[in-house]
Amino acid sequence: MTEQQPILEISHLKKDFGAHQVLRDISFAVHSGDVISVIGSSGSGKSTLLRCINYLEEPTAGQILYRGRNAETLNRAEYHSKVGMVFQSFNLFANMTVLANCTAGQKLVLRRGAKEAEDKALYFLGKVGMDAYRNARPAQLSGGQKQRVAIARALAMDPDVLLFDEPTSALDPEMVGEVLGVMRSLAEGGLTMLVVTHEMGFARDVSSRVIFMDQGVIAEDGDPRDIFTAPKQPRTREFLSRVLQGGKTE
Amino acid sequence: MPTTFWGWVSLLIEKYGPLFLNGTLYTMLIAISGTVIGFVIGLLVAIVRTIPVSPKDPVAKKAGLKLASFLLNVYIEVFRGTPMIVQAMVIYYGAMMYLGLRMPALGAAIFIISINTGAYMAEIVRGGIISVDKGQKEAAHAIGMTHWQSMLHVVLPQAVRNIMPSIGNEFVVNIKDSSVLNVISVSELFFIGKSAAGTYARYFESFFIIAAIYFVLTFTVTRILRLIERKMDGGRNYTICGSQSDSEATITIHPEGEVPND
Ligand SMILES: Nc1ncnc2c1ncn2[C@@H]1O[C@H](COP(=O)(O)OP(=O)(O)OP(=O)(O)O)[C@@H](O)[C@H]1O
Ligand SMILES: [Mg+2]
Repeated sequence: MTEQQPILEISHLKKDFGAHQVLRDISFAVHSGDVISVIGSSGSGKSTLLRCINYLEEPTAGQILYRGRNAETLNRAEYHSKVGMVFQSFNLFANMTVLANCTAGQKLVLRRGAKEAEDKALYFLGKVGMDAYRNARPAQLSGGQKQRVAIARALAMDPDVLLFDEPTSALDPEMVGEVLGVMRSLAEGGLTMLVVTHEMGFARDVSSRVIFMDQGVIAEDGDPRDIFTAPKQPRTREFLSRVLQGGKTE
Repeated sequence: MPTTFWGWVSLLIEKYGPLFLNGTLYTMLIAISGTVIGFVIGLLVAIVRTIPVSPKDPVAKKAGLKLASFLLNVYIEVFRGTPMIVQAMVIYYGAMMYLGLRMPALGAAIFIISINTGAYMAEIVRGGIISVDKGQKEAAHAIGMTHWQSMLHVVLPQAVRNIMPSIGNEFVVNIKDSSVLNVISVSELFFIGKSAAGTYARYFESFFIIAAIYFVLTFTVTRILRLIERKMDGGRNYTICGSQSDSEATITIHPEGEVPND
């Protein structure tokens, strides 16, 4: 086992919205244990990339291999349960309690029994510090709490890789830390993550690899230390100096 | 013969009390059935009209849905664009003269008010479905739920909750508008009022009683619906359960999907 098979292998992925080419030939692989931060300026196609990987958008061209098998040919429900997603706007099911949010997918998609689903949900709710709120409704929670529940909901499906699309961008500043803390401990626990983020601290300190996207292509891809201290591309340098000074990209 | 207004009113109540009561029951039966069946029709129509099509779907599915959607649009437009009193005449006498079908008046009344309500409900339910934020549906897909699972477990419960006031409103409208069904001689309130009035030629007194009954019905129903809505809004409180968790702890991922006992 020298060359381990990647969990995800994305090759020549393209996505057009009409005449607008948002993703132009994206290729990269995600290996088990990778924590990849995807950075880049607004409109560079980061969200679209995650949404294509999770088939919330149909890619225009290219292919995605999941453990060596073409994801197109896999059972969509099974693929989705293996490739989880955490959204910027949490997207908790408003009609369900915190606990039900974390068991619905397990029961409906993975056909787990109620007891098993509940145990697992409570285990992960505990890990994100939200098990005490199991009977609360999403509307009763703060943004940071909602996002932690959303992370537990995704983890309860036992995904191989979790995609995060700016998980802290919709949060008040004082709640960013609690969510980043959870993500950091997930990373330390060995979860494979692909994180679109504007939090340069997270990208630099937590991730094992950074992908810088610009205008629909991967402009630079490498070790966070290299990218943050000695970016090879002028546009990476330009982006980093802009965000590290100004704090955020928007 | 009475000489005063109240005299006539009490005479009419005395003579026609049981009939007024019967008319009230018919009116409520028609309004309730019409609203419930109409809601089911509206729900089904809205569900069909919101089935997503992706460019990759087979041609037959796309064509089938297009056709269904067209026919349902015609249904909605026609039934919303013509008065129910006219629909009643066309359906009742059309069935009689061209299909040889003599519908029982009550059955015909419920049938007509149901499909009429269904046309309005279809739009109401569709609005409710659209009002549920798209992100929740995406989240459902992202954990592997199918379109039907996310509709059943996430979207529709919220859509129906959101349109409860509109459904209640349709019910109140149906209590009142079922009166037009007197044209097919179903013995609902208005029809009873007409017969009572005719006997003594006391139209004002008779319809005064009928108006009072309608008002009591709609007023009561409106209050009850508001109460139910407030009940459904409840559950604002939750108890914080004891937490054994330590959110600072390192999270270990168990690839076998086992939940360790901690
Ligand atoms: N459904 C869509 N239809 C048309 N254009 C779209 C759609 N979704 C995204 N786009 C366009 O694709 C481009 C990339 O969008 P995307 O959301 O992927 O950027 P991003 O890198 O995530 O930006 P941000 O940092 O602001 O989230 C934008 O120009 C956007 O307008
Ligand atoms: Mg984005």
